[in-house]
Amino acid sequence: MRSFVKKHLLRQIASAGLCVLMTASALASPVHANEPYDVYNYNYLGEAVPSQAGYLAERAVSGLDLGTTALKSPSDLYKDADDHFYIVDSGNNRILKVNPDFTEIIAELTTFTMPDGSKTSLKNPKGVYVSPDTGLLYIADNENGRALIVDPADNTVKMEISKPASAVYDQQLTFLPQKILCDNAGNIYIVLNNTTKGAAMFDRNGEFIGYYGANSVAATAEVIANHFWNAIASEEEKRRRARSTPTAFDNFDIDTEKGFIYTSTSSGSTNTDIVKKVNPEGHNLFGHMSNYTWGDLFSTWYSGVSYKTKIVDIDIGDDGSINCLDSTTGRVFQYDEEADLLFIMGATGDMVGTFNAGSAAAIETKGANCESIYVLDSGKGTITIFEQTVFGEIVHDATALYNGGYYEEALEPWLEVLKRDGNYRRAYLGIASAYYNMGQYKDAMEYAKKADASGRYNKAFERYRSEFLKANLTWILIAVVVLWILWRVGSSYLKKRRNKALHTASSAPADSQE
Amino acid sequence: MLDLTQPQFVKHAVFHPFEGFEDLRWKKAGKLSYSVLIVFALFVALIAYDRWCGFQFRPLPDSMFSVVPYIMRSVVYFLAWVLGNWSVCTLLDGEGTMKNICIYSSYALIPYIVSTFVNVVLSHILIRDEGVFFTSVYYIGLIWTGMLLFSAIKAVHQYTFTKTVIAIVLTLIAMLIILFLAVLMLSLFQKVYVFIYSIYTEILYRVRV
Repeated sequence: MRSFVKKHLLRQIASAGLCVLMTASALASPVHANEPYDVYNYNYLGEAVPSQAGYLAERAVSGLDLGTTALKSPSDLYKDADDHFYIVDSGNNRILKVNPDFTEIIAELTTFTMPDGSKTSLKNPKGVYVSPDTGLLYIADNENGRALIVDPADNTVKMEISKPASAVYDQQLTFLPQKILCDNAGNIYIVLNNTTKGAAMFDRNGEFIGYYGANSVAATAEVIANHFWNAIASEEEKRRRARSTPTAFDNFDIDTEKGFIYTSTSSGSTNTDIVKKVNPEGHNLFGHMSNYTWGDLFSTWYSGVSYKTKIVDIDIGDDGSINCLDSTTGRVFQYDEEADLLFIMGATGDMVGTFNAGSAAAIETKGANCESIYVLDSGKGTITIFEQTVFGEIVHDATALYNGGYYEEALEPWLEVLKRDGNYRRAYLGIASAYYNMGQYKDAMEYAKKADASGRYNKAFERYRSEFLKANLTWILIAVVVLWILWRVGSSYLKKRRNKALHTASSAPADSQE
Repeated sequence: MLDLTQPQFVKHAVFHPFEGFEDLRWKKAGKLSYSVLIVFALFVALIAYDRWCGFQFRPLPDSMFSVVPYIMRSVVYFLAWVLGNWSVCTLLDGEGTMKNICIYSSYALIPYIVSTFVNVVLSHILIRDEGVFFTSVYYIGLIWTGMLLFSAIKAVHQYTFTKTVIAIVLTLIAMLIILFLAVLMLSLFQKVYVFIYSIYTEILYRVRV
C-alpha cells in the first residue's frame, strides 16, 4: 500500500514535470512549425505514414512584393547558373529576371532587337531556359509560334526558330512552343502541345533534326487487342481503326552536369512514363524498371480522398534529386537520384505552402544540397519558397553519402534521422548497409528486419552464419559426436532391456509347463 | 498381428502409404480426438510458417497478419473436404462413415504438417541460395500428404483406383459448392442481422420520441 502511494506520487510529479517541459517547448517553437497540411511519406508497402517535414514553406512572393504589377498566369520558372531566377509572366507577355534572394527584379524582358534591327515583343511566352555555357536565353514564345534565342547582354535575338519546313514535320500541325531547353552540345529541344512523337529537336544552327524521347504506349488489354486486330486487318480497315498513340510529355528539365533530360507527363490517362530519364539516344533509363513510382500511390492520399497525380513540372536539383510537382494536389515529391522518395510537401489551399488546385505550374530548386524549393502558382501568381529543415538537411547528407557508396560515413546521419522519424524506412536500409560494411552482421540483420528488407537480411545472415560457424565449428562437431554416441548407447541399452523383458515373458510360460 | 497402440497406428498409417489405412480399417483403429489435434496442428503450422520462418524466407510482412485466413486454410477447408467427400461418396457406394473419413484424412495431413515445421526450423539455418532444400522439403511433404490422402479415401470407401480419382475430383467440386453456399449464407445472415438491427433502432427511436 505504502509503495503504491509512493509510486503514484512519483508518477504525478513526473507528469507535472512533463507538462512544464511541453509548455516550455511549445513556447520555444518557431511560429511556422505547423505546416498547413499533413506531412507523410510512403512505407515499402505503399501505405502513407506520418513523417517529419523535410521542407517548410517560408514565404510566398507575388509580383507586387517584387515591386512590379501582379503576375498574370505565369507559366514557367527557371534558375540560371548564377542562381538568378526567370519568371515567365505569360499573361503580361514578359519575362522577369529576379535576384537570388527573390527580393527584387533585375531585369524585365519584353522586347528584343531582331538581327535586322527591328523590335519584336513576346506574345504569351510559356517557357524559358538559360544555357549555363553560353548564357544565352532560350524563350518559347508560344503565340508567336517561334522560339527565340536571345543574348541577354544587349537583348538582341541571335536566332529565331519557327515552324520547320522539313518533310519530317507534318505541315498541317501548328508550331506552338511550350517549353524549351538546350543540351551541352547546343541542340535545342522544344516541347509542342500537338504531337506525341516527343520534343522537336533542332541543332545548334536551328535546323530541325527530328523528334526526341517520345513516351511509350502502355500495354493495356485494349492496346494488345488493337495490335492483334491490326495484324489481321486489311489496309483499308487499318486506316479506320483507332490507333494506339502514347501520351505526350509536357515538361522537361536537363541535368546539365550529366546531360540527361528528364521528362514529365501530366496526362491522367496513363501510368507509364510519368517521369522519364532520357539518355542522348532517346532511350528511357527508368523504363526497364517497374518499381519506380511517381507521385501519390494508388491514387489516394493520407486522409483518404481519392484523385490522380498529375505531374506538371520536374526539376533536377544540383545534388541530382528529382523534384516533381503534382498540380492536382499541389504537392511536391522529391526523389533522390535513384528515384527513391525523400519528401512530400505542399497541398491545395490558401495558406503559404499551399496552392490552388490545378494551378501549380513550375518548380525550381536551389543549392548544392537542394536547400530551397521554389514553386510557381499560376493561379495565385506567386512563387512559394520552401526551405530545408534540419531533418531535411540530415536526410540529404545521409542520402548523398549513401548513394555515393559511403555507407559507413552515412551511418551517423541515418541514426540521427531515425531519432527524428522512426518511420523513415531508408534510414533503416542505410544503417543495415553501414553495419554490413562494417562487419557488424548481427546489427545489420536487425536493421534489415526493421526495414522489412529480406534480401539485405539474407546477405547479412549469410555472413553472420559463416562467422558463427567459423567461431563455433569445433563445439558444434563435438556436440554432434557426443549426441551421436549418447543415442547409440541409449538405444542399445533400450534394446537390451526390451529383449530381456521379451525373454522373461517368453520363458515364463515355459517354466510353468515343466 | 498388428497389435499396435493408437499412436503406433498413426505412425503405421503415415509410413505405409499403400496398406496403412487398410490396416487401420481392418483393426478399426484411429481416434477422432487425434484428428482434432492434427487439424489444430495444421492451423499452428500454417501460422508458424508465416510468422516464425527465418526472415530471409518470410513470405508475409508482419503488419499484414490476420488469423482468419489460417482458420480458413486449416479448419474450414478440412471440414469442407470431409463433408464434401462424405456427401459424394455416400452416393457412390462408399463404405466410409463421416467419422472415419475425418480420422483418415487428418492422419494423411501429418507429413505436410511435419514438413512445414521442419521448414520453419530450416529457414533459420539456410540462406536463400540454399532454398532448394527448403522447397524440396515442402514438396516432399506435399506429395506424401497427397498420396496418403488418396490412399485414405481409397481405403475408407473400399474403392478401386479409378473410382477414387473420380471421387476426389467430385469431392473438390463439392467443396467449392459448400464454400460458395457458406459464403452465401454468411452474407444472407449478415443482411438479416442488419435488417433486424435497423428495425430495433427504428423502434428504439420511436419509443424515445
